[in-house]
Amino acid sequence: MLISFGNVSRFYNDWPALENINLQVQRGEFLVISGPSGAGKTTLFRHIWMGDLPSIGTVEVAGYRSDRIRKSDLHYLRRKLGIVFQDFRLLPERTVFDNVALPLQVAGTSPKAIRRRVFSLLAEMELNHRRGSYPHELSGGEQQRVAIARAMVAHPVILLADEPTGNLDPEVSRMVIDLLIEINRSGTTVILATHDPRQVPAGTARFIYLDRGHLVNPSIWDGYRQL
Amino acid sequence: MIHLLKNAISEGLLNIRRKLGSFLITLLMVSLSFMVFDIFLIISWNLGTALKDEQENVGIEVFLRDNITEVESVILADIISGMEGVRSVYYVSPEEAEAVFRADLPEQADLLTLLGPQFHLPASIQISLHPDYRNSEKVGGLARTISGMDGVEDIVYGKEYLPGLTRAVDILEKLVILAGLVLALSLSLVVANTVRLAVARRALTVQIMSIVGAPGWFVRVPFLGEGLLTGVTGAAGSLLLTMAVSWMLSSSVPHEFLPGKWIMLVLILGASSGAAGSWIGMKSGIPKPRS
Ligand SMILES: Nc1ncnc2c1ncn2[C@@H]1O[C@H](COP(=O)(O)OP(=O)(O)OP(=O)(O)O)[C@@H](O)[C@H]1O
Ligand SMILES: [Mg+2]
Repeated sequence: MLISFGNVSRFYNDWPALENINLQVQRGEFLVISGPSGAGKTTLFRHIWMGDLPSIGTVEVAGYRSDRIRKSDLHYLRRKLGIVFQDFRLLPERTVFDNVALPLQVAGTSPKAIRRRVFSLLAEMELNHRRGSYPHELSGGEQQRVAIARAMVAHPVILLADEPTGNLDPEVSRMVIDLLIEINRSGTTVILATHDPRQVPAGTARFIYLDRGHLVNPSIWDGYRQL
Repeated sequence: MIHLLKNAISEGLLNIRRKLGSFLITLLMVSLSFMVFDIFLIISWNLGTALKDEQENVGIEVFLRDNITEVESVILADIISGMEGVRSVYYVSPEEAEAVFRADLPEQADLLTLLGPQFHLPASIQISLHPDYRNSEKVGGLARTISGMDGVEDIVYGKEYLPGLTRAVDILEKLVILAGLVLALSLSLVVANTVRLAVARRALTVQIMSIVGAPGWFVRVPFLGEGLLTGVTGAAGSLLLTMAVSWMLSSSVPHEFLPGKWIMLVLILGASSGAAGSWIGMKSGIPKPRS
């Protein structure tokens, strides 16, 4: 199992953001997590990259266990992950090239190998003509594609996308979702959090629902109208 | 690993280049406050060496009775040279005393002529002491013993200034240590504050680097380097400024600049308080990577 949540609860000042979560994700899966605002989607993601640890229970990701991992080993886990945010989080003072190269730079890859990988990825994602631009010179859709390139540049095992289309118009959103589907087809495990699970065609993914910190059974859940 | 270290360093240099203005202002601030310390060091160094010289010269001068023969004097000198704490003795005959007097005070030489040939300066024995005997207690004890001996007319040693001398050197050394501590503390706080600001300004970068898999030290090295550099160049700058001031004053106030060892000490103090400061700044500044 690539990711496994065992009876995970996370309390913030006694308030449960996640409660008794049991979740397994297999290598190669495409998992879509939906739920209303404040349901705990981002909190769940944060537990996957271990930016936060459970109050109760354990999370295991790619062999790293939340109750055993040392702070000094966190970067080994993070190098197996690619993370995409709703607000892109590109570094404003770096060019597209340098933003995409960042995960390789902090992993100690040689400059030559970095250039080779970043150029081919930018070409693949049709961003090559933008490689010298700064993030503020790009459209929202382009910025998100750069963020996805950054997440994918180090060949992650898992791609985490937390509402990547939240700031994009429908047409660009569709392009981003298609890109995620393609990434998944090429073997990367993808986990997507979204308000709108209908963005993802049925059959391409497994869908789960979070509500007020609980995983809910979709067949008896009546909260769809809030999504 | 080499690439990683190189990237961490170039990241740090990039940070400094991006806000060169504020870096220079901090540097000037550090240099000026360090300059106060440097000047303090120079004063205490010069006073210290002057006092040490005085201490070196602490000896005992034994004036002999007029009626003592040269043979008796030499025997007396011999006895004294065998006493504990005495390093060497030197017998000064009346003729040599007169020659020294004429050489040292040529204007007063006429006095001797006036006094006539029957007058002569007393013979004396100059005693130099072992270093650990050059303090007031031991010199006093030795002087008492000698003054009770036959043929001794009078005895002179640095009674007046000796106790004060030892204390002055002591107090001075303590003051320098205290000033160094105060300076190190204030410098650490200055650097801590600039590093904390730098961390805050770069919060997104810090967070993203950690999320994309940078080791903790990679994130910290640029800030640590910035603190270290501020401390060392600040200290070096202060030394240059102080050197300029010292040079300008050298004709009116004769003094020596600091010896190499003390210069190293200033630089090390700068480096360590810079490093300590950036460590404090990071402790309070680097946020946990939450999203
Ligand atoms: N660090 C924190 N400290 C305190 N409360 C927190 C913290 N992080 C999350 N929460 C709370 O936990 C709950 C879940 O938040 P979370 O961000 O996971 O929701 P979400 O499903 O991602 O919502 P959205 O769709 O709006 O992004 C919210 O009530 C939030 O206020
Ligand atoms: Mg969220």
